[in-house]
Amino acid sequence: MRISYNWLKEYVDIKESPEDLSDTLMSAGLPTESIEAIGSDKILEVEVTANRPDWLSYIGVAREVAAITGRKLKIPKIEKIKTPDTKEQIKIRVEDRALCPIYTARIIKNVKVGESPSWLKVRLEAMGLRPVNNIVDITNFCLFETGEPMHAFDLDKLSGGEVLVRKAKKGEKIIAIDGVERTLEDSMLVIADSSKPVAIAGVMGGLKTEVNYSTKNILLEAAYFEPISIRRTSRKLSLSSDSSYRFERRIDISNIIHSSDRATGLICQIAGGQAGKLIDIGAKPDKKKPITLNMVKLESVLGHSIPLVKAKKILSDLGLKPKGSSREKLSFEAPYFRYDLKDEVDLIEEVARVYGYNKIRNTIPPVVEQPERLSSDIAILRRVRTALTGLGMDEIITYSLLSKKTIANAALAVEDAVCVANPLSIEQEAMRPSLVPGMLGAVLWNINRKAKDLKLFEIGHIYGKDGSNFTERQYLGLCVTGEISNWAGGSRNYSFFDLKGVVETLFDSLGVKDILFASARDCRFSDASCASIELAEENIGIIGEVDPSVLNDFDIKSPVYTCEIYLDKLYPYISTKRKFEALPKYPSVSRDISIVADKDTSSRKIMSVIRGSAGAVLKDVRLVDRYSGKQIPDGKISLTYRVEYQNPIKTLEEKEVMEAHGKILHALGSELGAKLR
Amino acid sequence: MKDRIKETEVRAFSDIKAVVGQREALEALRIKYLGRKGEIAELFKGISSVATEDKAEVGRLLNELKVSVTSAIEGSLLSSSNKTLSSKNRIDVTLPGIPARLGKLHPITQTIDRISDIFIGLGFRVVEGPEIETEHYNFEALNIPLEHPSRDAFDTFYLESLGGKNLLRSHTSPVQARFMEKNKPPFSIIVPGKVYRPDATDASHSFMFHQVEGLCVGKEIHFSDLKGCLETFAKEMFGSSTKMRLRPSFFPFTEPSAEVDISCIICGGAAGEKRCSVCGGKGWLEILGAGMVNPKVFEKVGYDPRKLTGFAFGMGVERIAMLKYGINDIRMFYENDERFLRQF
Repeated sequence: MRISYNWLKEYVDIKESPEDLSDTLMSAGLPTESIEAIGSDKILEVEVTANRPDWLSYIGVAREVAAITGRKLKIPKIEKIKTPDTKEQIKIRVEDRALCPIYTARIIKNVKVGESPSWLKVRLEAMGLRPVNNIVDITNFCLFETGEPMHAFDLDKLSGGEVLVRKAKKGEKIIAIDGVERTLEDSMLVIADSSKPVAIAGVMGGLKTEVNYSTKNILLEAAYFEPISIRRTSRKLSLSSDSSYRFERRIDISNIIHSSDRATGLICQIAGGQAGKLIDIGAKPDKKKPITLNMVKLESVLGHSIPLVKAKKILSDLGLKPKGSSREKLSFEAPYFRYDLKDEVDLIEEVARVYGYNKIRNTIPPVVEQPERLSSDIAILRRVRTALTGLGMDEIITYSLLSKKTIANAALAVEDAVCVANPLSIEQEAMRPSLVPGMLGAVLWNINRKAKDLKLFEIGHIYGKDGSNFTERQYLGLCVTGEISNWAGGSRNYSFFDLKGVVETLFDSLGVKDILFASARDCRFSDASCASIELAEENIGIIGEVDPSVLNDFDIKSPVYTCEIYLDKLYPYISTKRKFEALPKYPSVSRDISIVADKDTSSRKIMSVIRGSAGAVLKDVRLVDRYSGKQIPDGKISLTYRVEYQNPIKTLEEKEVMEAHGKILHALGSELGAKLR
Repeated sequence: MKDRIKETEVRAFSDIKAVVGQREALEALRIKYLGRKGEIAELFKGISSVATEDKAEVGRLLNELKVSVTSAIEGSLLSSSNKTLSSKNRIDVTLPGIPARLGKLHPITQTIDRISDIFIGLGFRVVEGPEIETEHYNFEALNIPLEHPSRDAFDTFYLESLGGKNLLRSHTSPVQARFMEKNKPPFSIIVPGKVYRPDATDASHSFMFHQVEGLCVGKEIHFSDLKGCLETFAKEMFGSSTKMRLRPSFFPFTEPSAEVDISCIICGGAAGEKRCSVCGGKGWLEILGAGMVNPKVFEKVGYDPRKLTGFAFGMGVERIAMLKYGINDIRMFYENDERFLRQF
């Protein structure tokens, strides 16, 4: 809301500069977003929170300034309206009393519609409004001054001599004063004459009955409309006005007649005319219940004691009516313009706010007994991140929302994706079913910026559907692409095994044992290199080279290796407990075995034959060389394994090593047809 | 005799050690100890005067001495020639090391970890909650009526229905109600996580961002405790000279409510720094919203608001990270440019 510094000064003495005033208002909870100079005036653009609709008027803001500075509020005097003894010429009927509990109207005859005096134009221009004519300008002026939206109809254009406050008929149309024709729904409240709607109640008046230079007689409306109804109508029609903005935030129900009198007075003064009697239909506002503030509770909430007399003064200054007090209790009745004050805690806030949040002391709450500070899941995620960064992987965070096209490009099923009903753009229309598309996006971004060596990971949720429920799972995505190079070792491209090595090291650091990589087929990955990662007969991830057609859709030219690990499934197997194992007392012996085997004998098979045949002295075995080419027949492969032997209870004898080694060679030969090289 | 042998051995070794690698000095020592008229030869001559029963042992000791001194001098000579050899093959120590790459954590993760650790130090516990939420947890449980202007601050993505009405949480606050339903006070938790709002993307807005929510509930938890915790946080996060101020504000789920500012981390709020590009000359930076838990929120989860009080706060992680690292465009967090990521 715009606040003109000069205009505000009409209602309260302001000694401080606009900048200092803005600080004062901010410390009360009304922050200024910007200060703009217009001629000799300064306009403060203030941000009014939803709980304080009373600040949507000059008198409301002035009242706050008066309360916190101890100055006097100056409300304009209203001349008593001389009501000539005229007969009512209009019948008013409120059909929907629930949505319009109070409706008032007054006929003002023989007005001279014309240009507004310059003081009035200045006021409206300060609010960013274009002056229209003196009648419309006065209703707008009063809206800003009092916070009560009012509307003037051209009385002579209301047909049938009656005004009805009713729900619109389905399909009924109205052209509002903005010139746009709108079709109404039967939930919307309208003001109608005997034949048609003449205003969308509380939102905007109709063009046909608007006051213009040919208007002679007017009907001035001041009413109270239910906030929810105004909000719904305004939203459905996508039509918001200064009027609907205030009604949907709830106007001061006790101020309607005052506001109408104020507008009537100004109209008679500026445009002449004779005011008729106020037609007032509606209930008196409910009586307010007193709210009790217990000073013990205040201290318990704030952790700071504020003297009772101080609290009493603060609340009285804010316009609350004292309704008795005892040694540690205060009773108050909140004014109608403070709908937000209903409970004790609301009063505590008012006292604390005006007393000054920054004067309240600082303390530290007691530390209480709780389960582990870092729940095991989060502690595990930290371990995963530490391990992966240690392995040279950079963490990325990509959007959880993607376009359907991106999902389809990654060879994922679009129909299984969770979709957003109200996306801002097609880039946000669906939720990711996998981390891969986001990682490929990051890869492309970096390749386009000349990155050569990318090792990335992301930890995040993926989303899916399960019957009528949505699912959300924690995944880890990994990806390597490009080449690794340095001056000493030359350069080579990353391969499947670079990524597999990262994954194996990660599992090792998490204490996850007995992981299997089983050759697999998946349309997202190339048929040549793709494996499912298995643990205890459960699929816990997938790894492979991204299928060239997927890469093509992402416009990536070089091979990319990715892996997804379903962390939620992995959690039960992660063990961060470690137990010391005594170091071996006796030395171990290493022997290499070089064999030539069939090319399609899997490494896992060979390993299991070695492990199964060596007997108890086998400590470890690993592949140290793999070679095909010259000297090796087609369809064969040369493999060298380094086998480590150890006896935990005595020094190994040469004889034992020879025996175990012999068994391995024999088994490799008889079970796999491998020959010693 | 044995004592003389021992004494000669000690002296010879200390002499050799003193001139390691010096060819000429070692030659002189060789003559001194091993020469025909050297000390060891002199000792051999004295063997005749040793008692008969000791002769064999003294002879053995003398032989051992001769062998050990000889090999010590040879060893020392060898190390001299090794030195000459290695100095010929001297490496260029100014060549770059072979890269051993350390990956980097995303700056958002680093910021969340830092925030978490500060609050862990204050006795808080880190918990998480789902991103796909219901209107109940995202709004109603937090005293945000569905049709009320207070909801305007929370524009929300809704999901295409599978029967119910689901949305992407627009703040981490839903975890407040979820946690309270399952746990008994006293407790203090913080909740980091992703949140979503349909905001058009620009340098300071993103439709996805991160928040850290805090909630502390107990029998005697005060507004003063909220202030103390947040000031500790501000000083730990932004430096011990950081000042904090609270401004009254409005959130449906807290009462009293406050916006929390810290003194500008660039100009420190120095008067007259009108040109400070970070705070715009105001001297203060808004970093989070906070307040005492509204009794209505307690009622909705079945807590007795007459017996319990609590405070809650929520902060945008991107905002904190942008201030801390001087990043001026929120979109950079999600571009994942290596040149950006590797700076943190």
